[in-house]
Amino acid sequence: MTPILAHFGHWWQSLLYLAPVVVVVGWLSLQAWRDSRRSDD
Amino acid sequence: MRTRARLVAAGAALAAATLAAVPDPAAAHGLVGRQDLPIPRWLFAWAAATVLVASFVGLAVLWPRPRLQQLQERIVASVPRTLDVLAGALGVALFGLVLYAGLAGSQSATANLAPTVIYVLFWVGLPFASVIFGDVFRAINPWRAIARAVAWAARRIAGAGSLPEPLAYPRRLGRWPAVLTVLSFAWVELVYVNRTDPSQLAIMALAYAAVQLVGMSLYGIEPWEQRGDGFAVYFNLFSRLGPLRWRDGRLAVHRPLEGVVGLTPVPGTVPLLCSMIGTTSFDGFSQGQTWNSLAPDIQRRFLDLGLSADTALEITFTIGLVVMVLLVGLLFRLGVAGMHTVGEGHTTEELAGKFAHTLVPIALAYVVAHYFSLLVYNGQATAYLASDPLGHGSDLFGTASATIDYGVISATGIWYVQVAALIVGHVCGLILAHDRAIAMYRSARDATRSQYWMLAVMVSFTSLGLWLLSAANQA
Repeated sequence: MTPILAHFGHWWQSLLYLAPVVVVVGWLSLQAWRDSRRSDD
Repeated sequence: MRTRARLVAAGAALAAATLAAVPDPAAAHGLVGRQDLPIPRWLFAWAAATVLVASFVGLAVLWPRPRLQQLQERIVASVPRTLDVLAGALGVALFGLVLYAGLAGSQSATANLAPTVIYVLFWVGLPFASVIFGDVFRAINPWRAIARAVAWAARRIAGAGSLPEPLAYPRRLGRWPAVLTVLSFAWVELVYVNRTDPSQLAIMALAYAAVQLVGMSLYGIEPWEQRGDGFAVYFNLFSRLGPLRWRDGRLAVHRPLEGVVGLTPVPGTVPLLCSMIGTTSFDGFSQGQTWNSLAPDIQRRFLDLGLSADTALEITFTIGLVVMVLLVGLLFRLGVAGMHTVGEGHTTEELAGKFAHTLVPIALAYVVAHYFSLLVYNGQATAYLASDPLGHGSDLFGTASATIDYGVISATGIWYVQVAALIVGHVCGLILAHDRAIAMYRSARDATRSQYWMLAVMVSFTSLGLWLLSAANQA
């Protein structure tokens, strides 16, 4: 764990490339949840 | 619903794992200098994702009916048969020159013509040429030309009806020979320690040509070329994205992208496209900081087993290559599995086949993004190599003293080309997927819902591609 944290300064910016994927997948999850609620109703 | 939630979670985990595994690849065989960018690189990934989402919305609203499913082409010229023969002869002559240079020339990778022709002009230059000019490799394909010449001579000598009919090409073989070709070529290019040895390259080229001639003699020239000749299949896929099609002595024009819609999803098609994207991705990844800190640890484990340093290194890189191809395949499969949850009774196998063609522009985008600088810079080496193909000091055309001008395009310019290629490639993928979805699904709502998943796949591939490039530029 320590080496990962020690190099945090080197790789944290890589996480920013993940953000669009997280947003789209999050939006997908929301849509899926809404769809399921609609079908339950 | 539970299936969908699991898919979403698996997708997020895979995307995270993919990005975590792909940090600092170097310039992917290209040379990149210092860039002067107005915004941080990661912001380009956000901008690209925004463009994709906007395109998705635009397609859902403004593209209500299929427009690309029927190939509408117009014949614009007839091609004289002599041109076909001349192009084939040119291909055979070039192939012979590369073989001769590789076997008889200097064994220096930069002084000998063979490595530059194979890795730069053939592997990188031909995809560009195929999109712009159509399937040029088919015209200059040396083993096809030799096979046709032999078949012509055999018909003249033995008589047209006396030659045995070729065997039927096995249906289940599909495009699997092309998968093997792409993976083998990538293995030689990225893993094999003697990858730039001119004589070894020449011997491998000769072996490949021999296999093609055997395949063509068994299954017929055209069937083998369309399925079994891996390079022919590879370049043909790219040519389908462009507007030109050369067939049966005619030149036809159609709308860009239209040609790829008719791609038959025979066995091996999806693995081929995933191999194309995955091997290019690994090219970037293998030059990055993370792989270069991870690889020695893996290599050490094989050294401990008593293997030589070279063999251990090759096994390590082989593992990396295979894992990257599998990751790309898994990402696409997740998108397909997501589409499957939308319903209407389409199986995942059917969906994978029907949407396989959407990966072709992505494969091209990765090629352009990763190898553009290689083509622009190293392609210039052709000038001095043409005058001195063997590296023995000749000066046939007076260009032996030519050098590579690294100022022909700036590092910043290359970055913009790379970003533009990735965005355009993925938007094209979205267009193809949307057009196919509205042709397949009975309800427009289901078609759009199915494409949420392709949007996620496209955004993931775009972010992955930009991350690879960005890290490469920082390495």
